[in-house]
Amino acid sequence: MSGEEGWFDRFVNGLPETRVFQRLASWVLVPYWSWRTPVRPLPGGPHPSIQPGDNLQCMMNLIMPLKEKSPVGRAKAALAIAQNKDAIYAGLDNVGTVHFARFVIVGDNICMFSVYDGDFTNYIRDFIATIGSVFNAVVELVEGGEAVIPCEHNVEAFIQWVHERDLYQVPDTATDLLRDQEALNGDKAASGNDDLRLLPRKVVLQLRANANVSLGSGYRAYPGFSAAQVRNQLGIGW
Amino acid sequence: MSAVFDAADVQGNILRGYRKPRVRYLILEVADRIAARHWLAASTSGRGDDVPQITIGNWGRTKPETCFNIGLTYEGLRALGVPNSSLEMFPNEFIEGMNARALKLGDVGPNAPETWPAPFDAPKRVHLIATIYADEVAQLDEVQQHALTDGKAFGLLGALEGCAFPNDVVHFGYRDNIMQPRFAEVHDGQRYEDGQPKAPLGTVLLGHPTNFEGLTWRVPQPEALGHNGTFNAFRVLEQDVVGFEEYLDRAASDLLTRPQIDELLPPGAEAKIGQALSIEGLSRHAALREVVAAHLCGRWRDGTPMALSPDAPDPKVDQANFDYVGDSRCPFGAHIRRCNPRGGQIVQRVANNSRRLVRRGMPYGPLYDPAKPRDPSKPEPERGLLGNFIGASLGAQFEAMSCDWLNLGLQDPRITGSNDPITGANDPGTSWFDLPLKSGTTIRLRALPRFVRTRGGAYAFLPSIPAIRFLGSLMA
Ligand code: HEM
Repeated sequence: MSGEEGWFDRFVNGLPETRVFQRLASWVLVPYWSWRTPVRPLPGGPHPSIQPGDNLQCMMNLIMPLKEKSPVGRAKAALAIAQNKDAIYAGLDNVGTVHFARFVIVGDNICMFSVYDGDFTNYIRDFIATIGSVFNAVVELVEGGEAVIPCEHNVEAFIQWVHERDLYQVPDTATDLLRDQEALNGDKAASGNDDLRLLPRKVVLQLRANANVSLGSGYRAYPGFSAAQVRNQLGIGW
Repeated sequence: MSAVFDAADVQGNILRGYRKPRVRYLILEVADRIAARHWLAASTSGRGDDVPQITIGNWGRTKPETCFNIGLTYEGLRALGVPNSSLEMFPNEFIEGMNARALKLGDVGPNAPETWPAPFDAPKRVHLIATIYADEVAQLDEVQQHALTDGKAFGLLGALEGCAFPNDVVHFGYRDNIMQPRFAEVHDGQRYEDGQPKAPLGTVLLGHPTNFEGLTWRVPQPEALGHNGTFNAFRVLEQDVVGFEEYLDRAASDLLTRPQIDELLPPGAEAKIGQALSIEGLSRHAALREVVAAHLCGRWRDGTPMALSPDAPDPKVDQANFDYVGDSRCPFGAHIRRCNPRGGQIVQRVANNSRRLVRRGMPYGPLYDPAKPRDPSKPEPERGLLGNFIGASLGAQFEAMSCDWLNLGLQDPRITGSNDPITGANDPGTSWFDLPLKSGTTIRLRALPRFVRTRGGAYAFLPSIPAIRFLGSLMA
């Protein structure tokens, strides 16, 4: 590439900053690209790993659109949580692998964020076994939720449903996104096809397929410990 | 859900073991869908002139001379033409298959499915696993020939053969086949009171109450297909017997240098261990090898549970009836304690009894004789375990045990971050194992290598007898 930037280069490079171009990109260009190169949504949750440290303090980020998109709908969600507070504590106690769970309403979504240890399906399954009724009370208010409740009798479908709503965790290393895309398409070995010039486009297309994502897998200020290790160390019983 | 349970509806190796000394697995590919359906229908026809008859669960007082059972992979069900509406009701892990679940099962590096030899290098072609049990090799041959006479239904991709050693000994020298879940509905003269709650039938059969109160697993429809079926994780697990014995040597030498060694093996205690093993003049080093072996498994090699007899093996001690309460000196990380925490405290309080497995395994390869000098220039023969880990939910039982208990040690904060010492995905650079002492402190062993290497396997559905008939009657 020649070092000198001509007026045309400057024009093209400046394009993304112009409003007209931005509109054009999001309405025409991106849909056209994604039609040309279909990109499937990447699965949510932590990246599978054999390292113990990667399997402790894992993130679950659920964004679930409420059926009733109104202050009344949001209030119902708020009540569902408040009424089940005791059951939630009991569940945390009996499942034993959860560090914390948070419920947040954003827009007309009820979000559930939690930090848990070990395998995702075990975590959800053990929760169903302990406080399935709480899941039922919340999921009932969510779009499409009726298909998987009562969760006690739809265990496999319920776990799958939750997994499908768990946000994709965008890797910190940009090229790992390419690995994830390859894995999704069933390619076993890394292709080595890391054309970094294509990366921004691939990220745009992926974020079209996964509109909500988690950036990274949560940043910890200390290495991973299990909830029980923390409790044990603090002498508060586990 | 049908009201009465009839053992004649399920295949014979699920609720009870045959205890035959020989087994052969035929790994089959459906070659002709129509012929394969005829074969399945014939296998439950009660005539047995065309195809060996599937052994059923109520074989009664006299066990058949040879036993014959089948399992089908997801690809196998597809190959038989099971309709999509039924296929999609099977659980994800079964649909994806064992190869795709490698990370959960610790099948990485030299254990990864990409390294598995044929026929497991082509998982899409593994459709049906037929199992023959018998006393003699000639009988295995006979049944195999009988099963494949029509020459049309199936292609034989491979065969694996196992042979039991006397007294239920398996490679690494332990006595196995002591514990199995016990069911209220099944009378099994081989199983004695073990102090554990009886397992509900749903532990091992679809359509019955599970170990989680109020929870049911999805039964693939139609009812005839799914009800009373179950899932099997078939595993070919190569065991590095020489590596295991060498590790015991190293660990024993290491322990002899530790200040707390007298607490682990009080002076003179080697004589008691020697007496139990009928070895005169057992050295401290040799006794410590046995002590380490006992800690790794949670049982002395003769089967004596550490929970009841932590200082020496004792043939008078009950091998089945014990628990991990109070300050049991069975290590938290020992194999049998990881696999079944019984009534002991664990992190996942709801899970104590929820992950139990029916195990039907048999060793393969020649028995290792430590007394026989080895020729280091010759490669060791391959040895291992042909394991079947059976449960109504692969995800809630086999996989849950494999990923959180065997390989992460999540069930107890004192073992979290370590792997099962016998069958875990250990890396000598980071592995560790704690031996508990009477005083409450521990001695830590390090650098355990990986003793067990996965060489193949498949998730199979073990259909009920009505399900086999259903599959045999499929049209289109
Ligand atoms: C080659 C590898 C393995 C060897 C040599 C081995 C050996 C043993 C031995 C000696 C016992 C004690 C006998 C008994 O209690 O019946 C045992 C028990 C058991 N093993 Fe393994 N095992 C292996 C792999 C596995 C795997 C991969 C799993 C599960 C995923 C497993 C699950 C169990 C269970 C559930 C028990 C019964 C524990 C109880 O109920 O107290 N084993 N094993």
